[in-house]
Order: sequence, then structure tokens, then C-alpha cells
Amino acid sequence: MTALTVDKIGAGRGKVVLRLHGSTAVFSELSYAYPLKLLSPRIEEEKGVAVVYNMSYGGGLVGGDQVQLNVDIGQGTSLVVLTQGSTKVFKIRPGVRPSSGSIGDITEQRMNTVVADGGALFLLPDPVTCFRAASYNQLQTFHLAHGSSAVLLDWVTSGRKSLGEDWSFSRYYSMNEVFIDGRRIAKDVMCLEEQGEGPGSLKRRTLSERLAPYSCYATIILYGPLVQGILADLEARYNSITVFKRNAPEPLIWSLSPLLELSKDGYIVRVAGTETEEVKLWIEKALRKLESTVGTDIYRKAFV
Amino acid sequence: MDNDTEAYILLLLSDGNLPTGSFVASAGLESYVAHGFAASIPALDSTTNYIRDSLSSYARSALPFVHDSHDTVSRLVGCKDPYNHLDSTLDQLKVLDDLYESMTLNHVARRASKTQGVALLTLYSKGFSKPHLRHSDAHTEDHRGAVFSKLVDRFKLLIRRGETPGHLPVCWAVLTAALSLSRERTRFLHLFLHARSLLSASVRLNTVGPYAAQQLLLHAVRPLVQEEASKCQALTTGILDSSNDSKVDDTVDGPAVTWPLGEILAARHDLQHSRIFNS
Repeated sequence: MTALTVDKIGAGRGKVVLRLHGSTAVFSELSYAYPLKLLSPRIEEEKGVAVVYNMSYGGGLVGGDQVQLNVDIGQGTSLVVLTQGSTKVFKIRPGVRPSSGSIGDITEQRMNTVVADGGALFLLPDPVTCFRAASYNQLQTFHLAHGSSAVLLDWVTSGRKSLGEDWSFSRYYSMNEVFIDGRRIAKDVMCLEEQGEGPGSLKRRTLSERLAPYSCYATIILYGPLVQGILADLEARYNSITVFKRNAPEPLIWSLSPLLELSKDGYIVRVAGTETEEVKLWIEKALRKLESTVGTDIYRKAFV
Repeated sequence: MDNDTEAYILLLLSDGNLPTGSFVASAGLESYVAHGFAASIPALDSTTNYIRDSLSSYARSALPFVHDSHDTVSRLVGCKDPYNHLDSTLDQLKVLDDLYESMTLNHVARRASKTQGVALLTLYSKGFSKPHLRHSDAHTEDHRGAVFSKLVDRFKLLIRRGETPGHLPVCWAVLTAALSLSRERTRFLHLFLHARSLLSASVRLNTVGPYAAQQLLLHAVRPLVQEEASKCQALTTGILDSSNDSKVDDTVDGPAVTWPLGEILAARHDLQHSRIFNS
């Protein structure tokens, strides 16, 4: 583990500053306060690449937890942000009685990232899993320089299948906003929410019915010179698909759209699958060319 | 506007023969059917499900733009010198239009939205401007109409120059505000037309017959449109409020996609082996 400097910062706040020293990426700042926790393991890596584990994303968050992480990625450095296991969002603090007043509080994670020219952010967390009745907001803003690169993975599962959860959280809100040199090029906002009773004589339509037969939805935003190889492969694969009329949905479907018209700089990929594991395998395969950028060891850790 | 005039405008705008480009759009329905999502369910149910899921996502993502664009254009009415405010009005429409573009991350939906948007503006300038009749009184000038014609012409020019995309929710609000339709009517009619064009598409796709479509329009679409219209009445993009320290909570009142499956299916429209719609 690298040395951590814990500033006097507010609860749930954290800051990561990555700079190039010679040919090594060095954290000139890495600070955090509970319930946010960041770890930076030493991994044999490519030059200029650093890894940070966001342990709150990968651990558990309870009702009312608020986390805000600021990330600053300097010229020529690449940061890989990982989690250890899926981010679990609880409705209430485990072991706390419902009278504590935390019920129904929204759990919120915010992340603001700045990436300098020639820098790169590879945000490759495990999916978010919201438990029954949980309410979760995730707001992420990315200010990228024109010559920087980014892979932004954001995915959500239907819950704990072993406990019969099937899209039974109360609300999931996720926003990913991307600016290139100050110009907004994408603002992807997804809000999954259980609806009330159906209007008129219509029956209630549950979230699970709306999202069936899939139990995992992923969005990947890709931008910049370091992902052009991945994008060229995806585009070729996508354009080779021909949909003939089917009698039942496929177990996994995906789509690919450019972020900007008439530009191949950035794309958005959406994937839905009946099994989270299948979605993970699909993503791992689609992004595998990142191995040559971040190193095989790190890439494997992203898709354990 | 008095009730009779408003009712008359509503009749004109809800005419299925209006050249609005919606007859070539299925808003993802054709792809939904092709991908097998309607296969094991009775057609009336699968069509109703699609309308519900599509309408709720469209309402939540498009109505904030309809509201803010409508408010922006309506403000011109009270202006002493509306011609002096055309520039700022156009700037605000451009901000809204750009934000809608960056939030519509689906090339098929973007394409359809832009086609229909510009068609509505053309409809206003060609179909709703005052005709030159030999027997009409040349002295009663239509000052209001002239301001809005100018606004629409300049907005169309921006679109043609590629300076703004010209998306459907923004252009719809420009049209209805120029016709003095209230914000409530504008919202309701927009959702109604979205649902009705889905039903027209299902008739063309032969998934439901024309009588069944009419049944759904009366008994299923009405409560759905009413519910979404009332649920979404306070939605706003929040992007024009920077001056008053924005109290808007984007996570509650801001635009959002609520049906990611619909996004994937709509984007996959062009991958179909054979298709009759453009979206």
C-alpha cells in the first residue's frame, strides 16, 4: 500500500490527484474520510498507470450515506478505478433498528473527475446492487481534455437473486455527464423507479416487468485516442448484426451509438443480459484491448 | 386564448394527416416486435405495455424540454419590444436543444426527433401563417404572428446551418407557444400524439387492427397520458435557472431515461433485416 495522506476533510469526501514523475504515475494526493475508503495497491503496471480501489463503491453503503470523490488525472497518466465486488446499497444500516430515522434516506455517491491532455480514466467498477427498498443516487461528472481518453462503465443488477430480489429496490438514479474541453457532449441519466398503482382500470406495471427478461443493465461510454481500437472492433461487430424477426428475446443484447454526430471520437454502448455474469464476460471481451494500455494484471483484476 | 379558439387549435394539431413526419416513426416499436418482446403475449397487452413503458420514459426525458422551451417562447408575448428579445430567446432555445441532443444518446432516436422537429417548424411557417386572401382586410396586421414567424424562421435557419439540432420537444413547444396553446395543453397533446403514433405504427405493423387501436386509444391511452401528464407537470431541465441559485433537484425534477431496454431496442432499429419505419 502507498502512504496515504488523510486531510481534515468532510465525512465521505475524498480526493485523488495523479501526476507524472519521470515515467511513473504518482499520487500527489490520496485522501478520504469515512464512509469513503480508497486503497492503492502496488501492482506491476505499465508506465504512467496507477490503480485505486474505491472501497465504498465495492463495499456496502447504507441509507443516508453520502460520498463525494474528486479525481484529478494529470498529463500522461492513466488511472484505473476499481472496486472489490459489487457495490451493495442497503436500505438501512444493518443491525440498526428502523426507529433510528435513517429509513428511506437516499444513499448518494458523487464523483467529479478532471482528465488532462494525454491522460486517461478507466472507470471499471463492479455493478451496483441495490437491495430491497434501497434508494440510490450516483452522479458522476467527467471533464476531459480533447486529447484525453476514458472508459466509463456504469452498471446495475436486479438485486440479490438468492433472496428473490428482482428489481425490487425503490429507486436507482444514475447520471454520467461528459464534457470535452468544457463542451457537454453527453449527459446520460437513467432513473429506475417502482411505479404506483396503474391508472384507470390498468394493472400496476412493475419495474421488473418493464426490464424483463434482463437482470443486468450496463452502460459504457468510451472516448479518446486510447480506445479507438476497441471502438473500431465494436463498430465492425455491431454493423455485422442482422436482426431477423424472433419469437423470444435473446439472452443478451447490446447497442452502439456515437456520442456526437459525424464523429468517431466517442461512443456509448448499452448492454442488457439475463445473467450478470454473461454481461461481465461480454464487457471483458469487448474492452480486452485495454490490456495493452493498463497491463494484463490490472485488466484481470477489473473483471475478477 | 378563449376556449373555442383553443379547442379549434387542438383539433388542427391532433389531425393525423398533419405533415409532421411521425408517420415514418415507430419510436422503437418495430424493433421491439422484431426482437421478440411481443411474441408470447396477446397483441393488445404487448401494445399497451409498449405504450406504457415508452410513454413514461419519453415523458420523463422530453417534457422538461417542452416546458422550458414553451416558457421561453411564451415570454415573448408579454414583451414590449419582442423583436429585441428574439436573440436571447433563440439563445435559450439553443441551450435547451443542445442539452436534449447530449441526453439523447441513441442515434436512431436523435434522427427521428430532428426530422419531426424541423417538420413542425415548417408546418408553422407554411401551414399556420396567415394566408393572403384577396377579400381579407389588408389593414388588420397580425403583429403577434409576425413576431413568431420571425422567431421560427430564424430558428429554422440555425438548424439548416447546423448550429442547433432542432429536436422534437423543443420545436413542438415553439409551435404551440407561437399558437398560444397553454403549457398544460401542450404537455398533454405531446404525450397523446406520442401514444397515438405508436398505435398507428402498430396498425401499420399489423400487430393490432384499426378498431382495437381505437379501443386502446380511448380506454388505455387516456388514463396513461393523464397519469404521465400530471406526474410530470413540474419537470424542468434546470439549465436556464442559473440566475436564481437553482433550487431544482435534478435527480427528482430533471430529465431522465426510465426504460433502458427501450433505448437499446430503439438504437438497434437499423439492424433489422427488413423494416418499414425509420425509427
